[in-house]
Amino acid sequence: MIPQRPSLGFSMLAVACLVAALGAYRPLTALMSLHMLVQIPLLVLAGVFAERAAWHRHEMSIHKIPSLTRNRWSYNEYGVPGLLLASLVGAAWMIPKALDDALTDWRIAVFKYVGLPIVGWVLGTSARRAPMVIKLFFLGNFCWMSAIVGLLYLEQPVRLCNAYLLGDQDWAGRGLIVLAVLLPLVCLFRKPAWS
Amino acid sequence: MRWILALMLALFVGTGALYGLTDGFTVVTAESARRQAVARQPRLLHDAQLINANEGTSSLRRELQADGRVAIVNFFYTRCISLCLAQGSVTQRVQDAIAAAGLQSQVRLLSISFDPRDRESDLSRYASSMRANPAIWRFGSFEPSPQRDALLRQFGITVIPAPLGDYEHNAALHVVTPDGRLVGIVDLDEPGRALALARTLAASGGASLASQASSWPKSRDGAAAGQDGRKLAETSADRKQDPS
Repeated sequence: MIPQRPSLGFSMLAVACLVAALGAYRPLTALMSLHMLVQIPLLVLAGVFAERAAWHRHEMSIHKIPSLTRNRWSYNEYGVPGLLLASLVGAAWMIPKALDDALTDWRIAVFKYVGLPIVGWVLGTSARRAPMVIKLFFLGNFCWMSAIVGLLYLEQPVRLCNAYLLGDQDWAGRGLIVLAVLLPLVCLFRKPAWS
Repeated sequence: MRWILALMLALFVGTGALYGLTDGFTVVTAESARRQAVARQPRLLHDAQLINANEGTSSLRRELQADGRVAIVNFFYTRCISLCLAQGSVTQRVQDAIAAAGLQSQVRLLSISFDPRDRESDLSRYASSMRANPAIWRFGSFEPSPQRDALLRQFGITVIPAPLGDYEHNAALHVVTPDGRLVGIVDLDEPGRALALARTLAASGGASLASQASSWPKSRDGAAAGQDGRKLAETSADRKQDPS
C-alpha cells in the first residue's frame, strides 16, 4: 500500500477479495469449511475495504461538502442500525440451508454475492461510528453465536448440508470456533485503529 | 430520530432474510425444507430413462403408469456400504409390512440407483441380496443424462462424490403416485408414515392429491397408520440408535 494514497490501497484490497471470492468460486464452494470461512468472509471484506477506500477519499475532500456528511450519517447513529443488520445477516449465513441454497437457488446466490459486500460496507461504516461499548456488544454477540454454531456442527452425527460431507461439516465447526477466538484477538490488537 | 427508522429497516431486512431462508422460521436444513415443500405442494415429476433390473430400459413415468400402484421410491447405489444399508433394511421391513397386510395390489417399492456404474446385473445381484420380492420391490438405475439430473433435483436428492469411489447422498422414502406426482417425503425412521400415506393415496385412486397431502397422518401414531404402520414404527425405534 502506498501511504500517501490509502484509498488506492484499500480499493486494490477490495478488488482482490472480490476477484478471489468470485474467480475461485468453484473450489471455494466445494468444501463447506471454505465456503463458510473463506468465501463468505472474503465477500464481506471486499465491502469493508471498499468502504475504507471511499472513506479515505472522502476525508480528503471533506471540506468541500460538509453538509452532505452530516445528513448521511444521521441515519446510522452510533452505527447501531448497521451493526444490527450485519449481525442478522451473519446469523443467516450460519444456517446450513443457506449454504445449500446458495449453490442451487439463484436468489440466495444473489443474496450472497451482492448482499455480503453491501453488508461489509455497512459493517465498516457502522464500526467507525460506533462507540467501544456498542462495538464490543455486537462483537461479543457474533463471537458466541459463531462458537455455539461451531459446537453444534461438531456435535451433529448427521449431515446438515446435502451438498457437503460430514467430515467437512466438522471442519466448518472447528473453523467457526477458531473464528470466535481469533476475531476478538484481531480486534484487540487493532485497538488503536478502532477505538 | 431518523436512525430509528434505519434501525427498523435493518431489523426488517435482517429478519426478513432469516425468515426467507428458513421458510418462515420452520426449517434450518435443505433436507427438511424439501420435505416440507413437497408436503405443502405435491410435485409433478419430470421423466428420465430408467434401466430396470429385469426388463431392460423404460422411463420412470412410463414405469409408474404401467404399474398402476402407488410407489414408495428411494435412491441408492449398489456399492454403498453406509446409508444405503440402513435404508435397505428399512425398505425390507416395509416390504414385509406390505406383504403382511396384503397391500401388494396397492403399494409397491422402487429403489433407484443414481450410480452410472450400476447396470442390470448389479441391480439383480443387489435385489437378491436384499431378499426383494419382485412382486413388491423393484430396482432401477438411471442413465446419466440431463433429464436424470433434473429429476433428482426435483426429488431433492443431492449426490456428491466422496473418496474411494463412494457417494454421499441424502435418503428418505418418497411416496409417488402412478400419474407421476411426488406427494410426500418421509424420514427413514418413520416408514409407517410412508406406508400409511401410500395406502391412503391408493385407497382414493390418486385423486385430489393436494387435499390428501394435507390430511395425511401427522405422527407415527396417526389413526390411518394402522396396525402395520405402528409395528414398523416400533421396529424403526431401534434403528435410531445406530450411529449411521
